[in-house]
Amino acid sequence: MAPRMTDAPTPRAAETPSTENLSTSPVVKVLLTTVDGADLAAALGTVGRQVYDPIPDVVVVGGESGETPDGVTTADSLEEAITGAGDDIDYLWILHSDARPRPDALGALVAEVELAAAALGGSKLLVAGTGEELESVGGSTDVFGEPHSGLDEGEIDLQQYDVVREVAFVRSASMLVRRDLAQGLRGLDELLPPIAAGLDFSQRARLAGGRVISVPSSEVYHQGRCNEHGHGWREQAGRLRAMVTAYSPLTLLWLIPYDFIVSVLDSLMSLILLRWRPAARYLFSWGWNAYHLPSTIGLRRRFRPVRVLGDEELFRFQARGSVRLRDVGAELAVRILSMFDEDQAIARGTRRVWGSSGIWGAAITVLVLVFAMRSLIFLGVPNVGASFPFEEAATSLDRWFAGWNDSGLGSSAPVHPSVGVTGLWSWLWLGAEGAARTLLTIAFGLLAVVGMGRLAGRLGYRGPGRYLSGLVLLAGPGTAILVGSGSWLALAAAATLPWAVRSVFVHPDEVGRGRLSHIGWAVLLGIPLAAFSPLLVIVPLLSVIVWKVSGGKDSSIGLTLVGLLGAVVAAPFILGDTGWILDSHRRLGLSVAELWPVLLAVAFVPLVFIDSKTRRLGTLGAVLGLSGLLAVGLGNGGPGVEEAALVLASFGTALIVATGLDVVSSNPRRLIGALVSVIILFLSIGILGNGRLGLPGGDFNERIEFASALAGDAGPGRILVASTQRDDIPGEARPGPGFWYRLVDGRGMTSDEVWLPSPLPGDHELDTALERISSGGELRPGILLAPFAIDWLILLGPTFRLDEVFVAQLDLVPTPFDPDSRVFANPGSAPLADSGTESAWLRSGTGFVGEPGSGRVSLAMNYDDGWSPEPGPHEWRATVSAVGGVAGFRGTTQNLVFAVSTAALLLVSLGLLFIARRRR
Amino acid sequence: MKYVSLMIGLALAVGVFLTSAPDAPEPGPAAGVEEPPVAVCAIEEGSGRTTEVVILSTVNGPTRLTLFASGESAGSISQPTGASGSVMIPVVDVAAVGTVGGLVELPISSSAAGVIVTGAESMSAESCADVPTRQSFISGASTIGGHAFELHLMNPYAGQAVVELVVRSDAGIESNDRFESVVVPARSSTVVDFTELIPGRETLSITVETVKGSVIAVGRQSIDDESAVWNAVEGSQDWFLPIPAGGGSKRLLIATPSEVEVEYQIDYYGPEGLEEVYAEGTLSPRGQDSFDLAAITEEAAGVRVISTGPVVPTLWINSDSGLGITTASAVEAARWFLPGAGAIVGGRASVVILSVGIDEAVVSVRSLRAGSLVRAINLPADSVVEIALETADGYLIESTGPIVAMWVTRRVGAGIAAMGVPILDG
Repeated sequence: MAPRMTDAPTPRAAETPSTENLSTSPVVKVLLTTVDGADLAAALGTVGRQVYDPIPDVVVVGGESGETPDGVTTADSLEEAITGAGDDIDYLWILHSDARPRPDALGALVAEVELAAAALGGSKLLVAGTGEELESVGGSTDVFGEPHSGLDEGEIDLQQYDVVREVAFVRSASMLVRRDLAQGLRGLDELLPPIAAGLDFSQRARLAGGRVISVPSSEVYHQGRCNEHGHGWREQAGRLRAMVTAYSPLTLLWLIPYDFIVSVLDSLMSLILLRWRPAARYLFSWGWNAYHLPSTIGLRRRFRPVRVLGDEELFRFQARGSVRLRDVGAELAVRILSMFDEDQAIARGTRRVWGSSGIWGAAITVLVLVFAMRSLIFLGVPNVGASFPFEEAATSLDRWFAGWNDSGLGSSAPVHPSVGVTGLWSWLWLGAEGAARTLLTIAFGLLAVVGMGRLAGRLGYRGPGRYLSGLVLLAGPGTAILVGSGSWLALAAAATLPWAVRSVFVHPDEVGRGRLSHIGWAVLLGIPLAAFSPLLVIVPLLSVIVWKVSGGKDSSIGLTLVGLLGAVVAAPFILGDTGWILDSHRRLGLSVAELWPVLLAVAFVPLVFIDSKTRRLGTLGAVLGLSGLLAVGLGNGGPGVEEAALVLASFGTALIVATGLDVVSSNPRRLIGALVSVIILFLSIGILGNGRLGLPGGDFNERIEFASALAGDAGPGRILVASTQRDDIPGEARPGPGFWYRLVDGRGMTSDEVWLPSPLPGDHELDTALERISSGGELRPGILLAPFAIDWLILLGPTFRLDEVFVAQLDLVPTPFDPDSRVFANPGSAPLADSGTESAWLRSGTGFVGEPGSGRVSLAMNYDDGWSPEPGPHEWRATVSAVGGVAGFRGTTQNLVFAVSTAALLLVSLGLLFIARRRR
Repeated sequence: MKYVSLMIGLALAVGVFLTSAPDAPEPGPAAGVEEPPVAVCAIEEGSGRTTEVVILSTVNGPTRLTLFASGESAGSISQPTGASGSVMIPVVDVAAVGTVGGLVELPISSSAAGVIVTGAESMSAESCADVPTRQSFISGASTIGGHAFELHLMNPYAGQAVVELVVRSDAGIESNDRFESVVVPARSSTVVDFTELIPGRETLSITVETVKGSVIAVGRQSIDDESAVWNAVEGSQDWFLPIPAGGGSKRLLIATPSEVEVEYQIDYYGPEGLEEVYAEGTLSPRGQDSFDLAAITEEAAGVRVISTGPVVPTLWINSDSGLGITTASAVEAARWFLPGAGAIVGGRASVVILSVGIDEAVVSVRSLRAGSLVRAINLPADSVVEIALETADGYLIESTGPIVAMWVTRRVGAGIAAMGVPILDG
């Protein structure tokens, strides 16, 4: 192999061409452009060692005259240097001072350019200090000027590109250009960074009729101090300017909008990959070009006389479509596929893909999952049970940060922690709450399946069961009845749980490495898990304990303890409503069929006798699943315990299925395990057939749309919903005299309203009023309900006592708005915020706004001294001064501290992951 | 470890299997049933007739009369019952209305209301109905020549009501689409004029089936210039009916809304005391029987009707003293209100008291007005007495034993017979 620039520079007289030959060589002038941090003397030295005659003059562009040795002139700008070249000069060799050309580089450049009758030639650039790593051999671009070198990252030079060819552009680090053309084009655009400058110059050279070629025999080692990696926003801005300078107006007419669309798509896809920089780069790029538009127009004018060819000449060397979109799309696809293809089966080639049983399992699972989510994809998420739309992002976040809990008659008690997550998610989706909710729900389905697959994979399983078990997690014995009762959060918890458990099991290859990353993930996953189902946050700890007791390794108690920090997200909610954990009367009363413990036991027993690895995971699944079922059956604790126990039951069952279906063989034990696992699988996925991941159908908010449509100036108030069937009531229900009931927002129920805070004086008053009404002793129930701003009453399910009572009353008007319920209007209802004047006060975020006045505004909300301004109680209601025209609420400092702590913890965990990634 | 895992897993499974599913949560206990102290009165104004609403109570408390028509309140007045426990409200003082309904809100449940409708030649009275029932029944009507009958359906409540009328006459079951799905709008009245729809029927019995909402039905019979008003009531199997003294046409009608045959027996409380199984018979489906009471005696008497199915006995009096129609009482009580008794100027009012206890009862008759008077009498078991009444807004009859009380008023050419209102809650 030929000596490289890293070799000691020694005179090579033997290779010096003869005088006769040199006398016919074109005259070259070297324009050495200075680069910050590059050694100019060394650069001059390498130029001086060029084996070329006549020896080229050297002009240092942008350097101080004192720094240059004798005989070397300087120029302030490249344009000045180009202009200063006399007619005796044939070629200009533009060279960066951080480039180290081999001694024959110039000679090769001149020879090939002459031979090809080209106007512009570029050297092959090798990364200095790496030996033979290729940096550039010229390249193509797409129509937007995005460079596409065709090189793989770290690709070694094995002379595979050593052929002279026409290219779209060459890099400005080392380019040879005909002097007359350079002077016609007035050199490089000095506003542009190196790659963009090279691109711009190459494009103009081509449009001026010149050929642009890559000369691989001219090798130059490039230190890269000029920052020619091409990813900065300046490069991007430069490409846009080069595009505007080179293309004809007709091309620009469609190209600029097209580029804008590509920018938006690239930004969005990059955001999915958690990269924000592309969006920022586009923003700066467009701004920079807008600022420099006058000079760009000037450039176009100067270039117009030189141009001889049309844009088609550029298109010949361009790739189709958008390189940027192709790259980011490919990366996204790889990321998605890698979620299922931990074995890299796909990457290894399609012929071997179907040899992986894990891929079979994943493929079947995805098909079932798509079928199970078809209704969600096409129709959205149903509004029923405990599944309701997200509130406006800003309002949700305000509630989360110790704002007013508007559920029922309102309370200062903190909202459910999931409200913060959904608020943040909606905010990330720029306030498109509906789309955010649908996408999140679909994501839950995918995450549950992938999470189980990845968890089982981390525990050493590769069989088809690991992904199929995700379906059991979604629709197993516990989640099926929870989701069937409308619990959207059961899906969320099921989706998060395997990831959180996985985060505390360290891959054998990573033991002792990436500690920051492990901590970051443990905390980051602990937060949503605790937000969706607070008590599940202890499951990773339980899993590790069972795993270790069973003789397993590669799990960390320390990480589980770190993950417990995520529980801070749920602390204010639990402290504000301990009944959610402790009060068994608030449970939904869900029970699991007696068949399930039998199935789990039958599936588990043969696994014990296979091998220690199988026994370990089987034991983990059996202990968790059966513990969950036991906790459900015992009936202790509140709805929080019930919810966590049911999800845990499904999680344990899913682990057993993953174990049972890991290896299917003729071994009788494995066969029994697999058979029972298949039975469990089929029993589970039945519920998914409804296309909503098991969520019940219907739209409660659509049924109560009349409340908004018929609302007066003060907006819709509240709706009292009552039924003898607990399931008929959306969200949590309160026990009334012989029936269940709750209040919902007349504008439509949102997810934050699902949970009812502990009863306050207003709630007790309402309970008393309903007791009196249901006794039949009240002729005017509407008057009794008016102070609670109850505009409408909806009786659901079979007829009951209130139906009888409302037959003989004077002020609730039966209204046939809903054929499936009995609706009564309460014309005498008070507004939610009553200023005592005709001017209505309306909801605004978590508070109210209205006409300022000197009086007070009575709010049909439970009193709390967090209301402002000048709060005061009126019976159970809150009143505030109307002076400012605004009524707002801020909760206790303790709740605020918890909320801020959660946000800080989230940022810290993200920071840890960022640092860990940078280190890697 | 293998067997430890197995034991733990199996122990948990057995534990789960043996744990019975927790009970489904239940709502709170149902509230005790109360009825709002209200009464619904049939108001008739115009054509020379005017109505007064009489409200009696055991307490001095607030009352409120609201006239409802065409879906809204036509007028309302609030007055206390005062120290006497009585108040009389002329409807003309409330609003100028026609045939409408009136809702009376009473101070407590031990209260009663009634209406007195007086015209130049006629007068009628009836207590105001309290609890609407799903099915009510009225008999004793007629549309033969000179007789006019209309059914006044009242719905004082906020929801629309719909009723089906099953009409049985001497011609059999009447078929008319005006009897089907009769709508009584909220806070309104609907008057069904049977004289126009099925004229020439000697006897009519009407079952009012409420399909939706709540309706109170009142019958209004006119014979020439005389009129009578009586409430439709729910059928029952045990009835008591005091019968005032007097001659003329005095008949007991026993009718049934049942679609099957009903056997009945009549126990007679005559001057000689109780005569059990004085008469008995069988009613054909939706049929009726009639007994001429005047033929038995012209003295005050009483009957008890016991049946195997729901029946409604009605007293039908048409004499020189005018027309009076009222239904029997399905309950006996120790205290009775007689709203309107003694209130008609120029009329001779009396109360007829039937003692149905096994012991002699001491009965006090208290006039409710300013300067109340009380008379006390001893009433032997199974006996009937008729006592003349002084002028008052109404009367409160109290007894040491179970009694049934009705009142009558007579004047030249006009009469009233109205059952009292029992006070059942002490």
